[in-house]
Amino acid sequence: MKKMMKKGLLILLLLIFVASVQDLGAQNMSDMRINEILVTNTDDFEDDFGNKSGWIELFNTSYGTVDIGGCYITNDPENLTKYMIPRGDVLTKIKPRQHSLFWADSKPHRGTFHLNFNLDESKELLFVSSDGRTIVDRIEIPHSIITENVSYGRFKDGVSVMADKKTLDITNTWGILERTSPSTNNFGADKEPPGMLFMKIDPYGIIMAFTAMSVVFLSLIILYLVFKNIGKYNIKISRKKAEKAAAGSKHIVTEEETSAEVFAAISMALHSFYEDNDAHDVENTILTIQKVTRNYSPWSSKIYTLRERPFKSR
Amino acid sequence: MENKGVFSLLTDNLETFLQYTGFANATPGHILMILIGLLFIYLAIKKDWEPLLLIPIGFGIIIGNIPLFPGLSVGVYEEGSVLNILYQGVQKGFYPPLIFLGIGAMTDFSALISNPKLMLIGAAAQFGIFGAYGIALAAGFAPAEAGAIGIIGGADGPTAIFLSSRLAPDLMGAIAVSAYSYMALVPVIQPPIMRLLTTKQERLIKMKAPRAVSQTEKKLFPIIGFLLTAFIVPSGLPLLGMLFFGNLLKESGVTRRLAETARGPLIDIVTILIGVTVGCSTQADKFLQMKSVYIFMLGAGSFVIATSAGVLFVKAFNMFLKEGNKINPLIGNSGVSAVPDSARVSNNVGLEYDKTNYLLMHAMGPNVAGVIGSAVAAGILLGFLS
Repeated sequence: MKKMMKKGLLILLLLIFVASVQDLGAQNMSDMRINEILVTNTDDFEDDFGNKSGWIELFNTSYGTVDIGGCYITNDPENLTKYMIPRGDVLTKIKPRQHSLFWADSKPHRGTFHLNFNLDESKELLFVSSDGRTIVDRIEIPHSIITENVSYGRFKDGVSVMADKKTLDITNTWGILERTSPSTNNFGADKEPPGMLFMKIDPYGIIMAFTAMSVVFLSLIILYLVFKNIGKYNIKISRKKAEKAAAGSKHIVTEEETSAEVFAAISMALHSFYEDNDAHDVENTILTIQKVTRNYSPWSSKIYTLRERPFKSR
Repeated sequence: MENKGVFSLLTDNLETFLQYTGFANATPGHILMILIGLLFIYLAIKKDWEPLLLIPIGFGIIIGNIPLFPGLSVGVYEEGSVLNILYQGVQKGFYPPLIFLGIGAMTDFSALISNPKLMLIGAAAQFGIFGAYGIALAAGFAPAEAGAIGIIGGADGPTAIFLSSRLAPDLMGAIAVSAYSYMALVPVIQPPIMRLLTTKQERLIKMKAPRAVSQTEKKLFPIIGFLLTAFIVPSGLPLLGMLFFGNLLKESGVTRRLAETARGPLIDIVTILIGVTVGCSTQADKFLQMKSVYIFMLGAGSFVIATSAGVLFVKAFNMFLKEGNKINPLIGNSGVSAVPDSARVSNNVGLEYDKTNYLLMHAMGPNVAGVIGSAVAAGILLGFLS
């Protein structure tokens, strides 16, 4: 019975582990965001077939590769599994901080990245996890403000500005973009590297030196304060212990009163003494395979080699 | 007729073979670099200057500068070659944290724990990094390059490789060779600066003997040290994490085997690989540029600034300390993290003026604080410039 219970517990733990691993996978998908859409395309980018149609750009906000194969894209909240992104296509593995572009042309037979709906009549767009239930990201399409060949997207790739903890500040998150940017950054693709920006405000490295040295000092000062106090506390505790243990003795030398140099000197002296005298570190007895000259030795005594036989006590 | 055909075939093949040989592809640059490699080996064997580093780097320089016919998939920069695969540890930056693991497992932080104020010297010496950063900016280097060059002043080879692989991969070879060369030259560079900046009276200061540190404190140090520093500078995580983890393996008392592996075979293997591959990366066509010369000059400058900053900081610090608690400024140089060479330099210079004044144990405090400080500084540069 106990064995059965153990087995059951083991299986349960295993299941929890598997479930948590699956959950991790789901977490990866949760890093995907709908990033930019173009509803009506008459004079913008063409697909591989030379057609111009609306498109949807997804963005992987994480720093790990996410496989979106098996996830769903839909324009119908009542039908979350409207278009399943085919599994097994290497192109559905989206690299860290990279984009993926889907053509909303109602021609899914043209390949993985062609959806079975278009955006002209869609009111909403949803990206759904591979379980077919969890909505990872959704966006309402404001047809009134979107004109031909103009894209509607996040101002910063993958970034959601929140009005409060639960509500999305849509006006500061999404808007009409200056230019369409399929498969590339909505903002900052041409921005300067951080180092160059920093140099503009600090051409001689003075601010950098001051800031960085402050941080280095701060780290080590905190460490210094912590260990200064730990040391003090430790000395206090040891003193109390030593005082308790040797309440009657005349002089107590605590470990802290003895410097490390004293220990080092004692060890050094002992080491050189033993080295010079070729002394053995076990003083009174020497293990040897040579015959012992004495006739009697505890090492050869049978008394010492006999063992008592185990017996049951009654 | 047939004989002539065989002969011409042979000569054709021989000609092709000759095109592949090093003799046909050698340039003066290759020969110069091979001579530099030989110099490194000579310095390591004859002068005993950091042989564990200079022998692998020196031989690596020779390997990397054998003139090659391109496309044979043997060079360090040719994708898929054996040397290129080994070089990934440098390029992707996973050798330096492994070396830090070993350093953590072999470092005894008790000198630092017993006298924690010595940590501040380790912080002050990092000024060499940022001083060199400013000079490199003024010399026309891009900010990321200047940051990578500045880290040479930390006197910490693995950190220099780690940071340069992130900020300026093109300059990594020159930065790594410069950092290791100056680390080997610590006994030559530092003593004159220390003498110049101190008075005889200061050099004779005898410091209070450090107290014995309990095992509990030693166990707590890596945990608290890691949490504090990593929370302040998360970008230094790979180096700080491995350094303190290695130290916990050593001090926990229950993972002796792991600690021995980390400070023994593991660090030896990684040292061999990092040394040889960094050496290999100094191919003449990539290494012999004016930029490399500037990097060497700036590296020397950063060492001088770091040493001076450490010594001057101690002098300033002494103004606030009571008589009897004063610090000998000769340990200021050990704030750079060349462990234990710079601490040894402090001790030797101290002994020149007083044969009974052993500074080694005191100097080990700022020395190991320097390791932490340079890892923190690398994290800051990475956070600001990448």
